[in-house]
Amino acid sequence: MTHSDQPVGAEPRQGLGESPLLPLSPRLAPCLALHKAASWLVVVLAVAWMPLGDAPLLAWRAWLVAGVAGCGALGVGLAWCEARRRAYTLREHDIVQRRGLLVQRLQALPLVRLQHIETRSNPLERCFGLVRLACFTAGGRGADLLIEGLPAAQAELLKQQLLDRLASASRESST
Amino acid sequence: MSDPLAEWQRLSPWAMVSLLLTQAAAQGRQHLPLLLGAGAGLTLLDAIGWRELLLAGGGALCLALLLAWRYYRRFRFRLEDDVLVIHSGLFEQREYKLAAHHVQQIATRQPLHMRPFGVVEWQVVPLAGDASRITLPGIRQAIAEALSERLSPFALTPQAAAPAHYVLTARGLLLHGLTSRSVVVAAAMLSPLIRPLERWLHDIAPSLAWRDWLPTAPLLLAALAILAVLAVVLLLSVIAAVWRFFGYRLVEHGGRQIQTSGLLQRQRQSLTLSRLQVVECVETGPGRLLGCGYLVCHQFGGAGDEGRRFLVPGITGGEQRRLLAALWPGLSWPAELIRVSRHYRRVLLLRGGLLGGLLLAGSGALLDATLPDWQWLLLAAAVVALVVLGAWHRWHCQGWARSGDYLWVRHGLFGLRTHVFALHKAIAVDVRQSWFQRRRGLATLHLHLAHGRVALPFIEHATALALADELLVACASGSVVELPD
Repeated sequence: MTHSDQPVGAEPRQGLGESPLLPLSPRLAPCLALHKAASWLVVVLAVAWMPLGDAPLLAWRAWLVAGVAGCGALGVGLAWCEARRRAYTLREHDIVQRRGLLVQRLQALPLVRLQHIETRSNPLERCFGLVRLACFTAGGRGADLLIEGLPAAQAELLKQQLLDRLASASRESST
Repeated sequence: MSDPLAEWQRLSPWAMVSLLLTQAAAQGRQHLPLLLGAGAGLTLLDAIGWRELLLAGGGALCLALLLAWRYYRRFRFRLEDDVLVIHSGLFEQREYKLAAHHVQQIATRQPLHMRPFGVVEWQVVPLAGDASRITLPGIRQAIAEALSERLSPFALTPQAAAPAHYVLTARGLLLHGLTSRSVVVAAAMLSPLIRPLERWLHDIAPSLAWRDWLPTAPLLLAALAILAVLAVVLLLSVIAAVWRFFGYRLVEHGGRQIQTSGLLQRQRQSLTLSRLQVVECVETGPGRLLGCGYLVCHQFGGAGDEGRRFLVPGITGGEQRRLLAALWPGLSWPAELIRVSRHYRRVLLLRGGLLGGLLLAGSGALLDATLPDWQWLLLAAAVVALVVLGAWHRWHCQGWARSGDYLWVRHGLFGLRTHVFALHKAIAVDVRQSWFQRRRGLATLHLHLAHGRVALPFIEHATALALADELLVACASGSVVELPD
């Protein structure tokens, strides 16, 4: 894993939009697609088994189910494409993540704001060997930056790097 | 001479009596339906008479006194160097430790019933935010002042000698009451009374000779009723403002702003300027008409309850500039705020148009046969006019400016909210681009600040990235944990 770790003032600081980003694991796309498919499956089943009685909608149930399933398929496809676009980088003073497909987001969290870091994984992510890294700040009520789809080893390495930066930042501020 | 604060201190016994009564009242209020239900059930049981009731009441009182005694015995605090240590808990022992350099804000409250005994409620907010607030429910004033002095020098020392740099005038207090959000709170408080009042009027009206002196025109009657309700709401709002902000003084002392206010319940709050994160200048719609606004000073993990926030109320005559300069030294007022792209107005028009269309469609489904065509046309024209005016006004109010090391972001529709903060106070930034924005080279900059998220919509994409870069560079030299000098 390579990060732009130049010392302060060694090179002109790269702009947020110019920083080269690292792609996340290619296993994130199927993982997110499966997750999305499972969510939509619940909706499709609910529509398929919804008691309609003698309502006129009964004749249209098959079309309704097909429509919802179509929306689900579109959602799954979008989730797949979105996961393939996700990327992140750890820069000298901040951590940056790119996500989103229709609405694209470029998030940046300065490292001096970090209070603590967590790694999380649900059963589906564990099947794919993926881990989420949640970064918390003092002001936020939840995780301020959530990087999904990191391979476990890479997540551990990134977490360690962030912890080292936190320790050195706290040493600098106390001296 | 030994330091009295180094010894274990207890709460005042008067505070325990007050705590017992307020807790009983609070529990009674919270479980009112349960209590009423139990009372109604007891009246139906012949086996339970006054003797049994008195015995049960006496038992409950004894139990409450026993618990209060246990709470009193277990609650103690002391200072170990510059660390406040508190032991408390009824059934499980808890120990809190708070170092002086983690103190963000100290406040004392003195309700009327505590005044004769010289007892105050002392509160401290650590850097973790308002959710971690620690309260000593009743200690002697001298101990509270000594504690404040040790944990946060200059925090709450008597400021009789220090000249106040802002004093709320009677006009400012009245205008604040009329224009602040208390009006909405008062209206919300009164809303549950509407139905019972309506029923009462329905029952009582025929027996009264109201028809003799009330106007017969229904429109005039409705206008009078609305005026009466508005007058009651405004009166309640003014009373709330007087209750909270009577005698408001703001004093600057040792790098802190200290405010004192309150009619019956005196309240003091201190704000360390180095830990001030964002100042929000608020002008409500009526406030803009009457030329009155207020400032909200935000720190990390600020209170959701507006009653606990550090507010500078009733600012009139453009005093915001002077006060902002006192809160943010070196701040210069921008000559003009930069407008966001006109495309934002189009998007607002589109959103408003969709909402208006849905409303009209819904109304059409409900009232199709009842309204003639010309009335539908009139309604549609009114909705279109409202949407156009609203979109234009919202776009007009949205603006931003970079002035030195400070960023100003303003938004609003009828009222205006301007967030002012130093660049290095931002927590995180987020540049977002929708499909439409990508086509136009625009972006929305989301700024994560101590009090929440502020959006700067539809600015040039390059500007958004440049602003984000500047914020990140400024943050790199800052730190969340601001250590004492």
